[in-house]
Amino acid sequence: MVMGATGSKLEKALGDQFPEGERYFGLENFGNTCYCNSVLQALYFCVPFREQLLEYYGNNKNVGDAEENLLTCLADLFSQISSQKKKTGVIAPKRFVQRLKKENELFRSYMHQDAHEFLNFLLNELVDILEKESNAAKGSPKTSSPREMIANGPRNSQANGNGVQKEPLVTWVHKNFQGILTNETKCLRCETVTARDETFLDLSLDIEQNSSITSCLKNFSSTETLNAEDKFFCDKCCSLQEAQKRMKIKKPPHILVIHLKRFKYIEQLSRHKKLSYRVVFPLELKLSNTVEDADSEYSLFAVVVHVGSGPNHGHYVSLVKSHNHWLFFDDENVEMIDESAVQTFFGSAQEYSSNTDHGYILFYEKFGSKS
Amino acid sequence: MHRVGSAGNASNSTRPRKEKRFTYVLNDADDTKHCAGVNCLAVLKSQSSDGDDYLFTGSRDGTLKRWALGDDSVSCSATFESHIDWVNDVVLAGDTLVSCSSDTTVKTWNCLSDGTCTRTLHQHSDYVLCLSAADKNSNIVASGGLGGEVFIWDIEAALTPVAKSVDSMEEDSSNGMIASANPGLPITSLRSIGSNSNISLHTSQTHGYSPIAAKGHKESVYALAMNESGSLLVSGGTEKVLRVWDARTGAKNMKLRGHTDNIRALLLDPTGRFCLSGSSDSMIRLWDLGQQRCVHSYAVHTDSVWALASTPTFSHVYSGGRDLSLYLTDLATRESLLLCTKEHPILQMALQDDNIWIATTDSSVHRWQAEGHNPQKVFERGGSFLAGNLSFTRARASLEGSTPVPVYKEPSLTIPGIPGIVQHKILNNRRHVLTKDTAGFVKLWEITRGIVVEDYGKVSFEEKKEELFEMVSVPAWCTMDTRLGCLSVHLESPQCFSAEMYATDFNISGASEEVKINLAQETLRGLLTHWMAKRRQRSGSRLSVNGDVPSSKDVSIRTHTHSRIEVDDGAENHNAMVHPSFEFSTDSPPSIITEGSHGGPWRKKITDLDGTEDEKDFPWWCLDCVLNGRMPLRENTKCSFYLQPCEGSNAQVLTQGKLSAPRILRINKVVNYVIEKIVLDKVPVDGSNSEHTFVSGVAAGQSQLSTLGDGSFRSGLKSWQKLKPSIEILCNNQVLSPEMSLATVRAYIWKKPEDLVLNYRVMQHN
Repeated sequence: MVMGATGSKLEKALGDQFPEGERYFGLENFGNTCYCNSVLQALYFCVPFREQLLEYYGNNKNVGDAEENLLTCLADLFSQISSQKKKTGVIAPKRFVQRLKKENELFRSYMHQDAHEFLNFLLNELVDILEKESNAAKGSPKTSSPREMIANGPRNSQANGNGVQKEPLVTWVHKNFQGILTNETKCLRCETVTARDETFLDLSLDIEQNSSITSCLKNFSSTETLNAEDKFFCDKCCSLQEAQKRMKIKKPPHILVIHLKRFKYIEQLSRHKKLSYRVVFPLELKLSNTVEDADSEYSLFAVVVHVGSGPNHGHYVSLVKSHNHWLFFDDENVEMIDESAVQTFFGSAQEYSSNTDHGYILFYEKFGSKS
Repeated sequence: MHRVGSAGNASNSTRPRKEKRFTYVLNDADDTKHCAGVNCLAVLKSQSSDGDDYLFTGSRDGTLKRWALGDDSVSCSATFESHIDWVNDVVLAGDTLVSCSSDTTVKTWNCLSDGTCTRTLHQHSDYVLCLSAADKNSNIVASGGLGGEVFIWDIEAALTPVAKSVDSMEEDSSNGMIASANPGLPITSLRSIGSNSNISLHTSQTHGYSPIAAKGHKESVYALAMNESGSLLVSGGTEKVLRVWDARTGAKNMKLRGHTDNIRALLLDPTGRFCLSGSSDSMIRLWDLGQQRCVHSYAVHTDSVWALASTPTFSHVYSGGRDLSLYLTDLATRESLLLCTKEHPILQMALQDDNIWIATTDSSVHRWQAEGHNPQKVFERGGSFLAGNLSFTRARASLEGSTPVPVYKEPSLTIPGIPGIVQHKILNNRRHVLTKDTAGFVKLWEITRGIVVEDYGKVSFEEKKEELFEMVSVPAWCTMDTRLGCLSVHLESPQCFSAEMYATDFNISGASEEVKINLAQETLRGLLTHWMAKRRQRSGSRLSVNGDVPSSKDVSIRTHTHSRIEVDDGAENHNAMVHPSFEFSTDSPPSIITEGSHGGPWRKKITDLDGTEDEKDFPWWCLDCVLNGRMPLRENTKCSFYLQPCEGSNAQVLTQGKLSAPRILRINKVVNYVIEKIVLDKVPVDGSNSEHTFVSGVAAGQSQLSTLGDGSFRSGLKSWQKLKPSIEILCNNQVLSPEMSLATVRAYIWKKPEDLVLNYRVMQHN
């Protein structure tokens, strides 16, 4: 059997270096569900996220009558993997995929789906579920809420002056993935700078041929001029004026998820096209365009790779770094790869290349800091 | 939010244009003061030794003013009103005053006249920010602005009237030029709507004057300077480079780098060899154009440098900017001195002998001592520092606490201004507007009369707003902004005609209960009453009110194609007296602003309208309303609702269908309707009474949507008054006050998008 053979092969390859308590399981494909599998593997090997999800599962599994949702399905799946007796093998994420198709009709068909869209939907859905649970918990004993308000008070006033009552809940999903961008606009007439903060769970970057993540991030923070028919209404001038706008990362997240905009809408073709550009993503990334001058340093731990030349078909696989080994997850199959192999997923410098395996979503973890 | 930039954007003709907008500006009673920041200044030295000097100021309030300067006194001697947005810069070219504005135009005026605009130069397509004149060649003026547009004008040639156009209509002489520059004119005139054959006549006027364009700017130009002969032009802006041009041909000479941010101020020495620049990078730089390099950089300011002025010999420079400070710097020794600090950022300066006039974002203008003829004298008083050449040196020095003490504490002369309005809130009745000005005063305006009805003094704007909250719902018939420091009210058709009120609410004596007043129509009549009177006087017997005025004929052509025109019930009286509640003050007459036709946009006080204004400059819907009493059909003046007995009430069911009534219908009328229906229920309906047609309509089952008119209850009430039961109307289980309108109930009690449901119940008699 394939599954037994793969498992043993990987086990053999790792030998006595097989990490204590770690499980490497492939995920069965239910017909074009590789977008889901590849993202789930990346999330499973996002250790702080996995640990907190399992902790949540531990705290909530006793509540027997709890309704099934994406969060419980995901927690179930992760706990199933981590509690396997075998070290390797294949698991069918059946309940999770069924639930996903139930929740969102986008993912219901057997068509090729966008992995980034799925990740974004999943994270937002998890946040929604946690917020609802927290509201429900708060709802019954009303007296306890003021104390919690105070606990989070200062953050609130800093982030938003008019945020009166609706304190946004900071869930453990937020603690892992949420960062804050600040949108600075300078009126060119009175030169007053207004800053507006917005949160993000991942950064979507425009890409260029033969570039790097660092240069893409630089472009992301570059200055844009609001002019002509698109002037800025300056409150100080009480009128429309030219303005310069730029985005800065105010609070870098603990887990930085970078989505490379490889699927670009081409107006002349009136369809999306895949950009196979070579975009170098380093194993260690320094984030310098932050508001505070202190650089944040990150290390790469997972890559979701899109395989194929077009946006509407192809395949997703993922590269994952676990205990200093790089692993290659392709649905049911799990293999060990060399760290140097990661660079084969940067993209191609020529437009038509036989290599169609391109890094699409990058997962970086901040090092030297605990969330 | 409206877009100022597009208002005068004549070159953009490919896009379908919306209906023109009509705007009026509520002026303060004091006509001799600016009511917004002063962007620019120019001094006119008297030709004779005993004559007065004059100061010209251009303001964000859209006007320019001329001030006669005595030794220690100053008086406003003229207001130049025609720009419809901020006046950004002003220069004198001989006797011609040239101004530029965010309304995208450059305008010329006879500087000693009473304030009539002599020409509108409509070449720019975005804000015009800066001007520069050649001191020894009074014909040459350059204008620059957003989008990198720079033009060099021969003012005399531009002012020469263009030969009469092919079109025999009374087109004023300012038309030809624009047509030549912008072949694609927006076709918005009344005649063009009526007849397509006229369009070609307008656009075929291609003769006339065109300025020289200095082409090649990649970004917006914020500063210009010219040498005295007008041969050399320097420009600066967000590209951060200094560009030098041959002003006679528009050819590029060179590009100089050095600044790290927007260039906001430029000066050239008379010969054109040296150039001074002030930048948002807080530096002042001295350039030798002969050597094509920067020879000095002066770190004097701690923030952006926005204004520069030099002594006549170009030995010293006065500089001001965002850090509120005015410095004097010796260009050779690099010694610098803080002359004074202001309360507002400095926008421009002008030297007058030994004095300097300073314009800031405040509406007042101050004169300070400056010793322009002998700047060394100020330095002898000590307190100077040496300007560094790196931008952070001053910032660091001020952080360390070594802030210099200003030489002068008080200005020697002040031209006071009026605090400008900076905040406004349209109240729910849509006639009152609460405002707050730069001095913190909170006032209540009645915009349909253009007056302040209440001055609350320095109170909290937010609290006053809460206090004045009224539970009424009136459609938003106008929009407003305060960019001119005063209230500008914008009307757009057809939405401006959506608000109505009962005449009785204005205490109009003798008015019957049903007479409705359209806010926009009455406001327009109030604003244009002077114009209509003058127009009637001028035309005399030639034109009758509804007669053969070309425009009104075309309006009627227009109305034929426009099938949904509703003739107002007061159409035959449309030139009747203006309602007292819409009479605008003649002491502080508001100004009207029109987008104009091809003469460009303009602004005039309503009392200064003399009837000669080109009718094409007014929006057609506005003329149609005031001249012909016609308004476009308004859809949202009606409100549909169901009238049902309260749950558990034994009141009979009156009607199953949906009713429709004016939004402003009061609940007491609904009460009357219910009473009438209950009492008259068994009484046969008097078929001859047209007021009751809705009853038969429902009875015959022809229409589910019957109309509940205001006139429905006029008759038959008295006879059964004594039998009258007490009726309560409820909505969402809340008893409604009889004074509430249907719209108010819908907005504040029903609060749902579905049709309103009203319930009624009979009260027990005692």
